[in-house]
Amino acid sequence: MKNFIGSRSLPDMIYHAPESIEKLFLLLSDAARPFRIVAGCTDFIPAVRTGRWSFDEEVTIIDLKQIKALNYIEHQGGMVHIGACTRLTQILESPEIQEKAPVLARAVTTMGSWQVRNTATIGGNICMSSPAGDTIPALLVLDARVTLAGPDGEEEMLLKEFLTGPGQNTMEDNQVMTRISFPAMEKNETACFKKIGNRTAVIISIVSTAVRITLEHGVCRNVKIAMGSVAPTPIRINRAEAFLEGKRLDQEVIHRCGALVSEEISPITDLRASGDYRRDVAATLVKRAIAECMEEKE
Amino acid sequence: MKKREERLVMGKGQYADDLEFAGMAHLVFVGSPYAHALIRSINTDKAMTLPGVVRVITGQDMVQHTHPLPVQANFKKPGWTWRLANVHAMPHDKVRWYGEPVAAVVAEDEETARRAADLVEIVYDPLPATGNALEALTPESPRVYDDWEDNKQVHLKFDFGDPDKAFEMADQTLRVTYREGRVHGLPIEPRGCVAVYDGKNDALDIWGSFQTPFLARHNIAATMGMPEAKVKISAVDIGGAFGLKIHTWKENVVALASKLTGRPVKWMEPHRDFMATGPHQRDVFWEGDIAFKNDGTLLGLKAQVVHDLGVESTNKGIAALSIFPACSAPASMYKWIGMHIEGIGAVTNKSFYCAYRGYGKDKGLKFIESAINQVAKKLGMTPEAIRFKNFIQPDEFPFHQINNYVIDSGDYPATLNKAMEMVDMDGFRKKKADLEKQGRCLGIGVSTTIEPAGVAVPNCQMGGITQARVMITPDGSVEVHSDRTEIGQGAEISHATIAGNILGMDLAHIHVKKVTSDYIGQGPLSSRGAVYPASAVAKAAKLLRKKVVQCAAGLLMVEQSDVDMADGFVFSTKKPETRLSYRELADKVFFFPGPRGLDPEILKNHDHLLDVTATWYSPTTPDTGSSYTTFCVSADIAVVEVDVDTGVTDIVKYVHVHDAGTIINRQVIDGQIHGGIIQGIGEALYESLDYDDQSRLLSTSFSNYFIPTSIEAPDIEIAHLETPSPFSETGSKGMGEAPIIGSKAVILDAVEDALSGFGIRVNDSPASPEKVRQWILETQRKTKGED
Amino acid sequence: MKIPLNLTINGDTVELTVDANETLLHVLRNSASLQSVHRSCEEGECGACTVLVNNEPVNSCLVLAVSVQGASVMTAEGLVRNNEPHPIMKAFTDELGIQCGFCTPGMLMTAYALINRCEGSELTDEFIRKSLQGNLCRCTGYVNIVKAVKKAKQNKDAGYWW
Repeated sequence: MKNFIGSRSLPDMIYHAPESIEKLFLLLSDAARPFRIVAGCTDFIPAVRTGRWSFDEEVTIIDLKQIKALNYIEHQGGMVHIGACTRLTQILESPEIQEKAPVLARAVTTMGSWQVRNTATIGGNICMSSPAGDTIPALLVLDARVTLAGPDGEEEMLLKEFLTGPGQNTMEDNQVMTRISFPAMEKNETACFKKIGNRTAVIISIVSTAVRITLEHGVCRNVKIAMGSVAPTPIRINRAEAFLEGKRLDQEVIHRCGALVSEEISPITDLRASGDYRRDVAATLVKRAIAECMEEKE
Repeated sequence: MKKREERLVMGKGQYADDLEFAGMAHLVFVGSPYAHALIRSINTDKAMTLPGVVRVITGQDMVQHTHPLPVQANFKKPGWTWRLANVHAMPHDKVRWYGEPVAAVVAEDEETARRAADLVEIVYDPLPATGNALEALTPESPRVYDDWEDNKQVHLKFDFGDPDKAFEMADQTLRVTYREGRVHGLPIEPRGCVAVYDGKNDALDIWGSFQTPFLARHNIAATMGMPEAKVKISAVDIGGAFGLKIHTWKENVVALASKLTGRPVKWMEPHRDFMATGPHQRDVFWEGDIAFKNDGTLLGLKAQVVHDLGVESTNKGIAALSIFPACSAPASMYKWIGMHIEGIGAVTNKSFYCAYRGYGKDKGLKFIESAINQVAKKLGMTPEAIRFKNFIQPDEFPFHQINNYVIDSGDYPATLNKAMEMVDMDGFRKKKADLEKQGRCLGIGVSTTIEPAGVAVPNCQMGGITQARVMITPDGSVEVHSDRTEIGQGAEISHATIAGNILGMDLAHIHVKKVTSDYIGQGPLSSRGAVYPASAVAKAAKLLRKKVVQCAAGLLMVEQSDVDMADGFVFSTKKPETRLSYRELADKVFFFPGPRGLDPEILKNHDHLLDVTATWYSPTTPDTGSSYTTFCVSADIAVVEVDVDTGVTDIVKYVHVHDAGTIINRQVIDGQIHGGIIQGIGEALYESLDYDDQSRLLSTSFSNYFIPTSIEAPDIEIAHLETPSPFSETGSKGMGEAPIIGSKAVILDAVEDALSGFGIRVNDSPASPEKVRQWILETQRKTKGED
Repeated sequence: MKIPLNLTINGDTVELTVDANETLLHVLRNSASLQSVHRSCEEGECGACTVLVNNEPVNSCLVLAVSVQGASVMTAEGLVRNNEPHPIMKAFTDELGIQCGFCTPGMLMTAYALINRCEGSELTDEFIRKSLQGNLCRCTGYVNIVKAVKKAKQNKDAGYWW
């Protein structure tokens, strides 16, 4: 077993900060191994300090932050595109996001501190693929797709297909995430993000949820419910979504939907909370999110 | 005039991590990944091959070059248990808690030392561990110390007043249990120091985050086998302490490292190390019966408190010592017939346990507050009514409490009344009833407490020692020395204010020196700053004032009775224009008194030496055995709303009324109150050290040990009463701990009140969202079962 | 790997040579001798090492120094002018928004950035608290810190600022 060491040193590094995607791929093709692609370093450094990640030899760090082409937010043809290296603060403050995907902005406000949001990137949050990554439930209800680029070209896939397990995804070593895209929300749509933690501020979610609904004359359409920290990856809650589809919202319906959420998830127990508590508050969180969506439209 | 604060805001602090010496090497500890294991071997070869590594120190070195850690508290009494372990600063044979240092790497720079720490190869034989005091006390539990017959370190038994009579008189008794989880005081700055061994003089100088330099010197000198005169400890700016920087232990290894390498050696503890290797606090289990009359008169208590002390090995009795105040404090501010209290301390495979704001008295006070509120509920009384019924009254001071505390002064009813004026009690109670109909849970908590301050106990290093020196330097400014380190509690400004008021001197010209081991004293602990050191400074300043008066009378050629001082001048009250500035006075007294010099009487009495060193000791402790001298008073009322569906508690309103006697500096006191309250809220709702099933600590960083941030901290309304203490030199009382005690008690009480509809008893902390929700669900399940 | 690093620190252009694995915190403390930048958790949780990079507060312990090549970095030392405390520092001493002082320089940098951003608009208690949540303080309970930030904002609104 590894020694207990309060804080570990960072490994020797070769540092590259390519300024373009082309240069990035040139680097990737002949980078010395092992290498790590980083964007904000907000996860990389703590992982090394605690010994979760360790390197026996010099590690090549490829920092994407200087690639301007990966840092943008744009709204085009009904789609919102976000460069993977866009910092969380930029997302929070973007008028496009506030208008076209307020649920994402809401999720980002609950993430980390101002300092961390100034450094951390949306791509980094997705690529860490934590079950508790707070941007992910919001992006899941936005039907987000992610674009990965590598030496063999680009591929775009649904975010939910990208995530494969805790800290795991489909990305190959020589790929980088370049873009996150989703359709802009329509005027008649409403969405809400909620999370619960052991404290209000700067906290990792015990459970988080994003709910998105189109209310047509009080009837739910296109219901999307996603949750974080209740499964190996953030997930959509399909049965609860199907249940709400076409229903008129009232207390009873909301309550039954919450019960379905509890049935559908199988959260684990960890240091932050027990599986039972997660299952329990998951229902409450979803119910509240739906109720808030409803109130917003009224 | 806030000299220190201005320096610090400008970024000119000099904390332990800022210390630099030529040729300095850096030390990093290697800790155990097991909570309990035999050390089979330690191989340092690989670590030593890393360029830049100077030396690796192991437990074998400690055995070879140092003495076991010295005893710090030792109480033997027939019928009592008091065991101490014989250990060195690092073990050579066995580790007893997760993170316990087993080796220390010294290297040219810290990064290299950290890297080499991973290369020290240690082979362990893991042993079963025990991580819970109640389990540790069972016969089948693994033993923490092989030479002890069980894990019971301490068992103390106290009879206060006449407990049997109390229970005979009682109409009713009520069983009360109360549990406090384990917490970490967690200043933002961990510990650190630089040790400089001077081989030519065989002397050791250590600078660092020492809360109690005089005690540190005693303990380090003993461990190093050096005369204390050859060791000097100097406190630098300290980034918070709250009791956690009293005990020196890893510092011994740093000192040895300097001696063995001949280099200045710096150690700056990583924050995770600080979390894992403690000291930790609280972690108690109370169980007892409280006796009372049907009219709410409190009579007696028979209770037992089990402490989970973790390992005993590092502070040699000081953790165990905290069981004394835990057992004594329940008498608090109420009248009783008698109490029988037993305090048990169990050792477990957890990090050591020591002082954190409250030390032990906090445990007794929180328990009794909770118990009294249970009695009130049982009798259908309000929490305020039962307190008014049982308070010691303002005309009864000094009051000899059954636990031997001689309580100095206060107006308990007025303190609580003031708090109730600040909260619309009836309004909130009505609102609670209204919201209940909507399924919402509002709760109003009430708690009152006294703060026993200025500890002085025999047979330990907390004996009540203090020394202060106030002198006027030849340039006419004042230099103040004492044992009261500045840990953020306003020591410097308080001392300056006291000396300035007595000497009529502007604060700009008063220099409160950083504390070194040169001055006797146990430092700021147990809220003694405003009791012992402040009294010693006041006493020295008063004696110095007399000297100034004598010299000034001679120099100004006026009667001594006509001399006064203000605004930096010493003058004749009859002719204010006949005056000397302190600069002129000092210049004359020291060097140029005039053609004929000073009056021979002044010289005979040495009154021209404007330098006074004074000691101070409690006026009540010697005859009564009262282990504290002043007792500040506080009342807390909190209104909370509990979200029944998530278990989250939101603080709606918080008021605190405080009586710390004569106020030296209100801003400082308010700051202590704010900080203490938020720490108490943290303990009540968020903070918990959690372990896995092998007793390994899981909460090792700010990301999983949740101290309140600016978001969780509510606004706090404060009011003051000012009842001087007759027993301190300034009339002020030690303060700073009542807020953390009262706030934890009141928040838990408020949560319980919020959950009154469910009949839930909140007797465990923290009342985290999950726990609260669990309580609600359990109650609902039971109710359903009964239906 | 040694890398030349050009930064503007507190208004001065500096050229340093750093290792690729050095954090900005390490460089500021050790190469630039700026000891107001305090080190505690080294994992981006406590905020004691907060500095401004291009006017935005960041945890310098989570930033590789080489990754901010050419940036403008500001620390508490940079707020001091002619050995006089900056008006925000003055506000912190006036309101005693400081006890042990360890979190203070980081707290000041976040608060300074906050006030500068809120030019011409009101600064509510709630927004102050939200903005400071990444700067942990264990001594003050934040009460006087919030007061100090409001006082500093008043200082700025009254033209007492630099």
